[in-house]
Amino acid sequence: MRLEQAALFTYSKVYKLLAKEEFINNAKVGKVLARKCTKCGHFHLVTTYFCQNCGNKTFENAIIEGKGTIVTYTIITVPPEGYEKYVPYAWVVMKLDNADLRISGFMGGIKSPADLPLGTKAKITGYDERGIIIEKL
Amino acid sequence: MEKVCVIGAGSTKYGKLQDNITDIALQASVDAIESAGMQPKEIQAGYISNVFGIADKQVHLGPVIMSNLGIPEVPSLSIESACGSGSVSFREAYANVAAGFYDAVLATGVEKVTHTGTEWTTTYFSYCSDFFYEGGAGASFPGLFASMARAYLAEFKATEEDLAMVAVKNHDNGLLNPKAHLRKKITIDDVMKSAVVASPLKLYDCCPFSDGASAVILCNEKFAKTHSKHYIEVIGSGRGGSPAALQGREHITTIPSTKIAAQAAYKMAGITPKDVDFAEVHDCFTIAELVDIEDLGFFEKGKAVEAVRQGRTRLNGDIPINPSGGLKSKGHPIGATGIGQVVEVFDQLTGLAAERTVKDAKIGLTHNFGATGASCAVHIFKSV
Repeated sequence: MRLEQAALFTYSKVYKLLAKEEFINNAKVGKVLARKCTKCGHFHLVTTYFCQNCGNKTFENAIIEGKGTIVTYTIITVPPEGYEKYVPYAWVVMKLDNADLRISGFMGGIKSPADLPLGTKAKITGYDERGIIIEKL
Repeated sequence: MEKVCVIGAGSTKYGKLQDNITDIALQASVDAIESAGMQPKEIQAGYISNVFGIADKQVHLGPVIMSNLGIPEVPSLSIESACGSGSVSFREAYANVAAGFYDAVLATGVEKVTHTGTEWTTTYFSYCSDFFYEGGAGASFPGLFASMARAYLAEFKATEEDLAMVAVKNHDNGLLNPKAHLRKKITIDDVMKSAVVASPLKLYDCCPFSDGASAVILCNEKFAKTHSKHYIEVIGSGRGGSPAALQGREHITTIPSTKIAAQAAYKMAGITPKDVDFAEVHDCFTIAELVDIEDLGFFEKGKAVEAVRQGRTRLNGDIPINPSGGLKSKGHPIGATGIGQVVEVFDQLTGLAAERTVKDAKIGLTHNFGATGASCAVHIFKSV
């Protein structure tokens, strides 16, 4: 791999797939690590090897502020294993302010829909055993 | 391509079953073979769908089923595609007969999970989601569909009572189906008062975890004509995909894979949604049925609620949806569901549906998806 290409985010035999780990490190400081296609500019959250829009193979990292608006959510009362002690809690989908991307995650302390009207502003505040943590602003 | 027919169909009862996974699968398979008027030796391949065989200590079910049918030499494919496994199994069987590889094949779906309990099933089902973002952040399956429901109710000014009407209708149909898991008449009030599982969905908005198996025999037209007078023809087959995680979808109140699969199936069949007389759709949760019948083109986006209120989807409506009772009442043994829908269409179009017969039906459609619609298959059938 030549040096000028090394600055770009290309999955290859040279670069190991550390995407999830990098993603988590960014979430811990309230950021979203997205991949922006170098050809068409399409953003991806997932570890995709080819652009879902144009098929291009080269990406650059885009660090996006983890702030946005709650577009939908649920309040879980019958949880999967490991989440019993957090019940009731919300699982939310948030539309990011600064990119055409949505991201979902765990939001604690939500007992009824009155606690979280759709459109509430929120932000990513971390990542732990509950997954991506999102809190109301 | 060869014309493909379904000439035999069988199902166990859906519900809490005592027999092990292999026996359940065999009971449905033997029923299908006998209803086809054929011998197991005439089966040239098997397509066996199942998701959580691990729960009953049996994976790689294909060869086990074939061996027990006395045809261990016959090749099989063991298939997992979450809740859409059955329709994928059916599709693979269809494609291989259509391509001319085989004259007659068996497609069987099976699931055995009720002995594991709610926590196990809730946890393991969540592994069917895009786990890092969904199951791994505390989302249960009811929770993912509840998120679709909240968005839908807000966007189209619908109510939780509207969701409840879907459950009431499907329970009414299931009451007429001797093989249904939940045979119990319910009211909107019952649904509204049932325990909240994942707001806004309540227990009666959710299908049950079920055990059960369903099986069908697919064959070319020549084989059908020489074996049985009771058969139906597959006239359309389509599959599609969606972003695996809900966050990857621009619109959360529609399932892209359904639209893609349906368009392909309608195109192959040379029909439009208006030509369909009834449909078995994937109503794992009440919200799913509303989204499905819009995405399948029976109603415009946002208009499903009005149609349900008017009774148009009831057994005597102009487009009966889930005459079997659907996943909601008939039950949802996830590996079997997609095949079970075909069994219902077979019964409907060959005069075996008794009290729940859709009047004058000639064309039936099945719609089955995996997870939150990350994968989907639609099939269209015509009476012969």
